[in-house]
Amino acid sequence: MRAGFVVVAMVLSLFGARLVQLQGVDPHQYAAMAAAEGSVSVILPAERGDILDRNGEPLADSIDGLMVVADPSLTSADAPRLAAFLSHRLDVDYLVALRRLREPDSRFQYIARQVPAAKARDVVAAAEDKGFRGLFTREDPVRTYPARDVGANLVGFLGTPRKDGSTRPLAGLETSFNRYLSGHDGEARYQVGASGSRIPLGDNTVDEPRDGQDLTLTIDRDLQWYCQQVLAQAVKSSRGDSGLATVMDTRTGEVLCLADYPTYDASRPDLSPESLYSSRALTDPYEPGSVEKALTMAGLLDAGKVTPRQKYKVPGQLLRQDRPINDYFEHGTIKLTLAGILAKSSNIGTVMAADTYGRGQLRSYLEKFGLGKRTGVGLGGESPGILPDGSMWTSQTGDRIAFGQSLSVTGLQMTAAINTIANGGERVDPSLVRGTATLDDGTTVGTGVANRERVVSEEAARQTSEMMERVLDPEEGVAKGAAVPGYRVAGKTGTAQRVVDGVYDGSFSVSFAGFAPADDPRFTAYVVVHNPRNGGGGGSVGGPAFAKIMGYALRRYAVPPTGTPPSRLPITW
Amino acid sequence: MSSPAPQRRTRLAPHLAGAAVGRARLAVVPRLRSRAPRVPFVVLVSMLLLTGVVGLLLFNTSMQQASFTAARLEDQAEVLAAREQALTLQLEEMRNPTEVARQACALGMVIGPPAAFLDLRTGTVEGKPGAADASTPAPCPGAARPAAQRGVR
Repeated sequence: MRAGFVVVAMVLSLFGARLVQLQGVDPHQYAAMAAAEGSVSVILPAERGDILDRNGEPLADSIDGLMVVADPSLTSADAPRLAAFLSHRLDVDYLVALRRLREPDSRFQYIARQVPAAKARDVVAAAEDKGFRGLFTREDPVRTYPARDVGANLVGFLGTPRKDGSTRPLAGLETSFNRYLSGHDGEARYQVGASGSRIPLGDNTVDEPRDGQDLTLTIDRDLQWYCQQVLAQAVKSSRGDSGLATVMDTRTGEVLCLADYPTYDASRPDLSPESLYSSRALTDPYEPGSVEKALTMAGLLDAGKVTPRQKYKVPGQLLRQDRPINDYFEHGTIKLTLAGILAKSSNIGTVMAADTYGRGQLRSYLEKFGLGKRTGVGLGGESPGILPDGSMWTSQTGDRIAFGQSLSVTGLQMTAAINTIANGGERVDPSLVRGTATLDDGTTVGTGVANRERVVSEEAARQTSEMMERVLDPEEGVAKGAAVPGYRVAGKTGTAQRVVDGVYDGSFSVSFAGFAPADDPRFTAYVVVHNPRNGGGGGSVGGPAFAKIMGYALRRYAVPPTGTPPSRLPITW
Repeated sequence: MSSPAPQRRTRLAPHLAGAAVGRARLAVVPRLRSRAPRVPFVVLVSMLLLTGVVGLLLFNTSMQQASFTAARLEDQAEVLAAREQALTLQLEEMRNPTEVARQACALGMVIGPPAAFLDLRTGTVEGKPGAADASTPAPCPGAARPAAQRGVR
C-alpha cells in the first residue's frame, strides 16, 4: 500500500515537472507549435496599381499570373514528350524545358514564369488530361504593357520577380514610383482539417491587402504614338542617330507626349539593349543651339535693352577675344532688325544684341527659364544640364551661350523654357503625373504641385513670340517647313555642334521648337534629331516633323485657328 | 365590479339538516401516491438530446458542405476572373494605337488634313479645309508581333 503511494507520488511529480517545463520555461514556443498545427497562413498579394494615360488608357496593367513549376522526380520519366508539349503550349525552349524536367536531385524547377492565370491553368489541366504528372502552378503576378513601345521610355518595366516574390522594377516610372504602385500584401490565417479544406468555425483572421494606387500620367497615348512615329520617320529619313519629340500643354505644363528614338518594347525589353531603357529626353543633355536665342531675346526685351525693330549692322564676321564668330551663312555686312536677327538666326547679331546685358543678367534669366536644374517630373536619372557659373562664365562663354552653345540642356528643360514665352512669360513646371503622386524618395510631384513663376513680362513674351513668327516666314525665314496650314505658328530652329566624348566631333544636333496658335498658344512642341547625315538643319529636319506633330495635336484637341493676321515685323532695314 | 347577484336564501327543514350534516362530515382522503410514468420523460429528454446532437451534426455537415461549395465557387470565380483578364488583355492588345494604325493603314486610311472650324454664331469658316491626300507619306507601322509570353530569365 505504502509502496503504491510512492509510485503514484513519483508519477505525479514527473507530471508536475513536465507541467512546469511546459508552462514555465518556454510557453510561447509550445503555444506557437500548437497554433501552427493545422493552421495555414496565406499571403494575399496586393495588386500593383496601373499606369494610365490622361484618358485612362492603360500603359501598364497588372493581371493574375501563375508560374508553372515541375517536380523532376515525377517528370523525368516522360520528359521528352512533356517538354515537347510545354514548348508547344507555353512558348518555352524545348531543350531548356527538357533539361529542367530531368534535373537530378531536385523537386522544384521553374518551367515558365508570369504566365497569365487562365493560360497556365489550361496548360496544366491539359497536361494532366494527357497523363503527365508533376506540374504545378504558383502565384506569380504578371505586368503587361499593352501599348508596347508607346511611352515605354517613360513607363519602364518590371523584371522577373525576386525569389521572395517581391517586384523588381528595372526602369522608368515603375522604378521611381515603385512604392506608390506596390501597395501592401495582406495575410489570411485559417485552420484546415485533415483533408486540407478550411474548418468553417475555426480560428480565422484576415489582414486585407491594400492594393497599390493607380498612376495617371499627363501623356496622351495616341498623341504619344504619333510623336514616336513622326520622330522615328524624321530620324530615319535624315539618317540621324537618335532624337526626341515633346508636346506640352502651354497653360498647364502637362506633357502630352515625350518621345525618344530609338526606343524599346516594354513588353519585351530583353530584345533591346539596356542603353535604350531610360528617357534620354531627360537624362542626356546636349547643346541646344539657336533655339536658345529665343530666350536670350526674351530676356533682352524684358530688361528693356532692345526693341523688336531695333536696327543692327551685322558684319560677316565678328572678331572677339579668342576666336572669330561666324554665321552659318556667308554674308557681307547686312542690315537686320532684332526680329531679322532671330528670323535669319544670326549668331553675330545675337552676340551684338546680348552685349547690352549687364553682368550675370543673361545667366539669371536662363536660370529662371529653368536651365541648369532638374525639372523633377518624377523620372529617375534626370540630368540638370550644364549652365556655367562663376569663373566658368567668361565673356567668351557668355557670347557662345547667347546663341546656344557652351551650355547643355535636356529636351524637357528646353520645352518648358520655350513654353514660358508661349505662356505669356510665366514659367510653369512641366508635369508627367496628373494630380499628385509620391516618389519613392518621398517627394510629391504632379500637376497638383506644379509651380508657376514669372520670368519675363507679358509684353516681352508677346514681342518674342511675334519675332519667332518671322522664323517661319515663307520668304524671309529659315523654317518654312514648320508652318501648320491655317494657323499662326511661332518657332525657332536650332543647329548646334555636338559634344561627343568631351569634344565637338563635327556632328550636329538639329532642332525646332515652337508653339501655336502664336497669338493664343495651346501647345508647345519641340523636336530634336542628333547627328543627321543628310546635311539638313533645324528648319529642314526638325521643322516638318514639328509641323506634323503640332498639326495633329491642334486637330486632336479641336483648337480653331485664331484667324488674326500674322506678325509683319520688319526683318531688314 | 357590478353588485353581486341577489341570492335566494331558503331555510331547510331540521330533519333534512341533520342528514346533510351527516353527509357532509369530512374525512381524510387516503393519500394516493400516484407515480408519474418515467418513460415519456426519459424518451422526451433522450429525443431532445438526440435531436440536438443530430441537429448539430447536420448543421456542422451543412456548414462543411457550404464551406466546400464556397471554396469551389471561389475557385470558379478565380478562374473566371482570370479568363476575363485574359480577354481584357487581348482587347487591349487590339486597341493598342500601333495595332489600330496598322489596321487603318491596311484599309487605306490616312491621317487627316488640317480641319476647318465653322463658327455657328457668325457663320464664318476658320481654317483651310482640305481633302485627305493619300500620297503624303503617312506613318504606316509594320505588323505588331503577336503577344509572346515571357520565358524564364
